[in-house]
Amino acid sequence: MRHLLIALLCLLSPALLAHDGMHMEMPKGPELGASAAFDSHGRLWLVDAADGHVRLRHSDDDGATLSTPVQVNPVAERIYAEGENRPKIAFGAHDEIYVSWSQPRAKPWTGFVRFARSLDHGSHFSTPLTVHHDRAEITHRFDALAVDGHGRIVLAWIDKRDVIAATARHQPYLGAAVYYSWSSDGGASFSAERKLIDQSCECCRIALARTPNGEIAAFFRSIYGDNIRDHAYAVLHTDGQTSHAERATFSEWQIAGCPHHGPGLAIGRDGTRHAVWYEAKERPTIWYGQLDPGHAPKHPLAIAAAGASHADVAMHGREVWIAWNQVNAGGYALMLRHSADNGAHFDAAREIASSPGAVASPQLLLKRDRAFVAWNTAAGFRLIGVPR
Amino acid sequence: MKCLLFAWALLLPSLSMAASLQPLSAADVPALLKPPARGERIIALWALDCAYCESNLQALDKLQHAHPDDIELVVVATDSMEQRDAIQARLHAMKMDAHPNLAYAEASPERINFLLDPRWGGETPRVLLIRADGSRLGISGALTPAELHKLR
Repeated sequence: MRHLLIALLCLLSPALLAHDGMHMEMPKGPELGASAAFDSHGRLWLVDAADGHVRLRHSDDDGATLSTPVQVNPVAERIYAEGENRPKIAFGAHDEIYVSWSQPRAKPWTGFVRFARSLDHGSHFSTPLTVHHDRAEITHRFDALAVDGHGRIVLAWIDKRDVIAATARHQPYLGAAVYYSWSSDGGASFSAERKLIDQSCECCRIALARTPNGEIAAFFRSIYGDNIRDHAYAVLHTDGQTSHAERATFSEWQIAGCPHHGPGLAIGRDGTRHAVWYEAKERPTIWYGQLDPGHAPKHPLAIAAAGASHADVAMHGREVWIAWNQVNAGGYALMLRHSADNGAHFDAAREIASSPGAVASPQLLLKRDRAFVAWNTAAGFRLIGVPR
Repeated sequence: MKCLLFAWALLLPSLSMAASLQPLSAADVPALLKPPARGERIIALWALDCAYCESNLQALDKLQHAHPDDIELVVVATDSMEQRDAIQARLHAMKMDAHPNLAYAEASPERINFLLDPRWGGETPRVLLIRADGSRLGISGALTPAELHKLR
């Protein structure tokens, strides 16, 4: 009787109906995962997700007012829009708009990386395509999007095909793999995906940045030895060369778990790789350092400690900015540290905004030489100019 | 009686499921952290997006069953209560729905993370042990046999 009852509960539960892949599993309000970027004319663009659509808005007054949303995907689908797994936006050389997102599939931890483009400044979008050629119902998510110096669109993501194959062979495999693909035709099609690395972290965002010679570099949490979750750096070659990921942080944080806490990367014209990352070997700490792949980072500095999360980094000339969320008694503070000497020294942390309610990860943006922080909060999207 | 229960179950499936999962807001944290009168409370933090959490929860379930009078196991999802359906479905699939179950009542989890344990950055699984004498122990990641032994 009891078993029958449980079985009936299962059959009738709306929870399970939501998992059959046909029904949308929608939260009450839009989730806060969003991305923003300035185009070449200084117009701000914002993507987030609501009611099964990635929606695009823009602002010509630095975020004070936002346009009516445009739907990127006309047919509703499920969309990841949480902290480390949010829709992305990037621009081509002529302000073509490229948008990517991860689409949850029916089973837990599964997803497809999706992409659409607009060639008319957001009036129309191409039919969304699935970027990877592998169509197994497994993890291909935590997409990261960037455009290289030749206009190629590069997408990297976390992919579980190899861990599934290894498990089927009863072989050990920690974490997941990082795969990437690129488009040489402005997003009409994508190359067959390539594997960058096996056994990397399965739940942390991948940071991408352009190198001085125009290639796209990736900085991401990997796995070394027995679940040491340090970070790796790699240039994602799109010219046939093989890409090699090298260990770039040496914090030695060992955890068989999900940190949900990916790094940030900004590369200067001088090649300096400004990076921020999180580890909690002794205590929760956000670090800044200049990556020297294969060796410990230079100029390491503990930027923030307990209650700090999800840092981002940006640079212009010799100025470097770091922004992060800090929990306090009243809710969340948006914190900032600034360096005027290319990251050799940083001034003290200061609070530049606060929110009593929920917030998403902050994102540092540059409009010419001016830094802003895009901060999506429960009370709405905010663009905060960094005080000079 | 069985028939009545059966009919009630048919009529109110969502309500009967929903009763098991309670919201955890910032204001609820002090009560959750209050030392138990005896033995220990194990707060098992997990997330929908955590592939390591199920085996951890099951190890803690086994531990609690071995010491039912001394261990109080409270299972806390760090996902938002807005994902109630998905959380409950997973709890049911993991056979963890008999324990007290909570889910965060805030869309971004960092504040409750910090209030629960300032030495924790939100990585899952996380176990927070609170003993009757007020002492605490926090462990991140899948529990090793040695770590499980430390809990009891």
